[in-house]
Amino acid sequence: MELKKLLAVALASFVLLTACSTKENNVPDNGGAAAEGTKEVTVWAWDKAFNIGAMERASEAYKAKNPDSELKVNIVENAQADIIQKLNAGLNAGTTKSLPTIVLIEDYRAQSFLQAYPDAFFDLTDFITPGDFADYKIGPTSFDGKQYGVPFDSGVAGLYVRTDYLETAGYKVADLQNIDWKKFIEIGKAVKEKTGKAMLTQDPNDLGLIRMMVQSAGSWYLKEDGTTPNLAGNAALKEAAETYKELMEADIVKANSDWSQFVGGFNSGDVASIPTGNWITASVKAEASQSGKWAVVPFPKLSTTAGAVNASNLGGSSWYVMNVDGKEAAAEFLKQTFGSDVDLYQKLVTEIGAIGTLKAAAAGEAYQQADEFFGGQKIVEDFAKWTEQIPNVNYGMHTYAIEDILVVEMQNYLSGKAIDDVLKDAQAQAETQVK
Amino acid sequence: MKGFLSKFKYHGLFIKMFMVTLVSIVSVALLTSLVTIQMSERLFMNTFSITNSKIISQIKANFESFNYSVVTATNNVLQNGVIKGFLTSPEMNTIGSLKSYYQANQQMERIQSNVAAYPVTMTITGINNKSYSTDSSYWPNSLYKLQNSELTMNTLVYPKRLLYQLDIENISGSFDVDPVIVASRALMERISGNQYGILYFAIRESDFKRFYASFTSGGNDVAILDRSGTVVSSNRQELIGQENHDLLRYAQEMEQQDLKYMDVNVLGKSSLVLSEYLPVYDFYLVNMIDKKEVLSEMVDFKTVALICVGIVLVALIIVFLISRRLTKSLTLLARQLPTIAENNFDNYITVTGSYEIKELGKAYNYMLDELNDYIKKLIQTQKDQRNAELSALQMQINPHFLYNTLASVKILVQQGNKEKAASTINSLISLLQNTVSNISETITVAQELVNLKNYVFINHVRYGDQIAVNYFIADDCYGYHVPKLIIQPFIENAFFHAFQERKDGHIYVLISREEQTLVCEVVDNGIGMEGYDHNNPAHTSIGTSHFFSGIGIRNVHDRINLLYGEDYGVEIVSHIGEGTRVKIRIPLQKT
Repeated sequence: MELKKLLAVALASFVLLTACSTKENNVPDNGGAAAEGTKEVTVWAWDKAFNIGAMERASEAYKAKNPDSELKVNIVENAQADIIQKLNAGLNAGTTKSLPTIVLIEDYRAQSFLQAYPDAFFDLTDFITPGDFADYKIGPTSFDGKQYGVPFDSGVAGLYVRTDYLETAGYKVADLQNIDWKKFIEIGKAVKEKTGKAMLTQDPNDLGLIRMMVQSAGSWYLKEDGTTPNLAGNAALKEAAETYKELMEADIVKANSDWSQFVGGFNSGDVASIPTGNWITASVKAEASQSGKWAVVPFPKLSTTAGAVNASNLGGSSWYVMNVDGKEAAAEFLKQTFGSDVDLYQKLVTEIGAIGTLKAAAAGEAYQQADEFFGGQKIVEDFAKWTEQIPNVNYGMHTYAIEDILVVEMQNYLSGKAIDDVLKDAQAQAETQVK
Repeated sequence: MKGFLSKFKYHGLFIKMFMVTLVSIVSVALLTSLVTIQMSERLFMNTFSITNSKIISQIKANFESFNYSVVTATNNVLQNGVIKGFLTSPEMNTIGSLKSYYQANQQMERIQSNVAAYPVTMTITGINNKSYSTDSSYWPNSLYKLQNSELTMNTLVYPKRLLYQLDIENISGSFDVDPVIVASRALMERISGNQYGILYFAIRESDFKRFYASFTSGGNDVAILDRSGTVVSSNRQELIGQENHDLLRYAQEMEQQDLKYMDVNVLGKSSLVLSEYLPVYDFYLVNMIDKKEVLSEMVDFKTVALICVGIVLVALIIVFLISRRLTKSLTLLARQLPTIAENNFDNYITVTGSYEIKELGKAYNYMLDELNDYIKKLIQTQKDQRNAELSALQMQINPHFLYNTLASVKILVQQGNKEKAASTINSLISLLQNTVSNISETITVAQELVNLKNYVFINHVRYGDQIAVNYFIADDCYGYHVPKLIIQPFIENAFFHAFQERKDGHIYVLISREEQTLVCEVVDNGIGMEGYDHNNPAHTSIGTSHFFSGIGIRNVHDRINLLYGEDYGVEIVSHIGEGTRVKIRIPLQKT
């Protein structure tokens, strides 16, 4: 009897002690969030103040139009180089798992993705009407007759000029309308003589000026097919190179090596003009003390090449939908915003300074706004007008690869090598490299 | 309240036992868990600090390999004539400067491959105000500002050193404040010592922290401090740029005293701090481990406490039940013991409970048995003693009386009064027959009356009949029993002591019933007793009074007391010159 009780007590204590020692550390497994279905759209872009800001406004506009929609637009900021690298890595590996729903790609690079991985992108032909956008944007954003991209900003180029320096040199803004490069060099020399200021600033490693010249004549580094190098015997390129050398020899160019020096060049008043894309407007206006001293005139054209116009483009990018879950929702989202929303484009102009390429947007109020910084000039309207004149070219797959070759060859050219040899050598290098 | 107290009194043992066990169990549980938790904490902290010092050396290695890349790139720049030319040559025409920019770019791109593994921007500035940056999109935002910044000043103060500094002055863009860590070094000719420019390596803090960020976790933070105590980099964003002198002091103390870790209070939290000096950076790498947060992941205090409380509760319940059982029988025993005396030692206790208690109960009951036996024997002995006394008393009376009577008969015979002598002898025979034959038993009042009359007759024969004896017996009293010769001694006293000064007198014998008491009174009208205390008649010593001396009056009283208890006995009331009244009280007895 007594023994039984003792045993019972001992057993009870043992059970308790065992319970104590086998205590487990239960960490709740809250990792691995489940996929949100198709209600979330991930966007990759690179400039918080520019394209990311534009996407945020598009998201707001979509919400306003579809208050019941549960679509969540998740914008992720990545450096442009990172986006390119990640896209390449993901697409090379044949997986779309780590890729976004919507991605922003620079027009110069777009074809290298579309042609290499057409299946990775979602065909937007049913959502987007190419005719609603500036012609020149359609080349880079479509492939094989299918529209893959929704054109975003216009890289329409203009010539920003300092009116005060020009006046000192004896010129008016009217004298610079629709000029060619010969005239530009002549004015530049006068400005240098009268004011001591350089006409423009250039980075020897960036041939953006030559690209603009070549496109203004409806030509490119590559032929229509987008893959064959088009250097030797390219009249537009030849004239552009010659003009480039003339500019340099005229000693009206201030050299720079990077973006901050480039911006510093005009902000400090060291140069009298900037031939570049409209996206520089914000940087120009950043120097408020120069208000009223600037004007924008049409991009100078090549004088001898046939078909050359006073309009060109530099940069610019477009939105693409990846072939992943949620692509339809993303396409619908783009259709309702960047694809058609005129009001959104007015907002982009006034709040972000981004000029779109939707033709209908040009009729909007914001586009008619006069800008006091530019002496009351309606620069957005002007840019929109020039946008429509930009020749449509196929940037092809190898723009930057060829430019790297040209940068070297241009130095040889400046050092005295004959232009035909320069282009022939470049062509030979390009053919071996890009094939 | 009183009931509660008395209850408490009986449960005293249980409460004491239980309280002692309660306190012991609770303190053992508390102490054990505290000591265990502390031991495991210490063990964990020790392990943690060992692991973390390894992690710190890993981080240090990361930093060193980064520094190695930077140093290699720096040496390449220092030895590069093209770059020197770019930074020193005076202003030239467009083509010339374009060429120098182009060449600088070529050289810098080649040199940058040294640091290509890291997201670093290289910037060079020269005494000719030319500069080149591999990627100026985030640093520097303005060359002019850079030239006048503290960063550049510090670099020029220590031209031969590669300086690592936190820079928030020169970051470009108005958005996100993402500070930059800049390694800078003055560019100078080796032999002449002429400075011709400055080389900067800028890395975003967010990229810099990758060297250690993967080792951090909640409660396990890393901060990089410079010599002034400014937090250069940390996985805790809010600390960056702040000065933390406490942390710096700890780091310096650890370096000087070669401590492995310190247990201190950092940012209001009790933390374990590990530190490593990074000499090439002149930074302190500080690892802060928030003990509370880290421990909460390992030791689940709540569960431990709950289990302890559970065990204690269960143990207490078990202890309660067991000790309750143990003490219950004791309590019962304690309750029963005080009632023993109340009932002539007849309260045997119920034997229950554990073996020990049972034995105790048995022993106690055995003791009661023995006690009762003893008491019975004692009572028997006392009774025997009384009977012996009584018979001794009667034996005492008889020769005395016999002597007197025989003396009287002798006188009668001498006087020749044969008849009277014969009747006296008859009375004496009857008296002797009644008394001698049957000593221990009682007789009825009627028989006693016969005895008395015989006795009185004998006395009358001897001393004459001047002293009259009258009997008043209540009718219902004849049948009651009285001890033999209980009244006779008092009549004898009255005869021989009450009437010493005169010859005539009266003696009355009254027998009546008062409720359950038989009252026999012997009243005389003699001289009364000397020495009678009127104020305290009960204390008048009957035995010492000369009035009763010689005859066993006192024995009578004692005998009645012995036989019937204290309520009964002999009372005497006496007044000098008026007489004496003796009252004998005995219980009514039919047998």
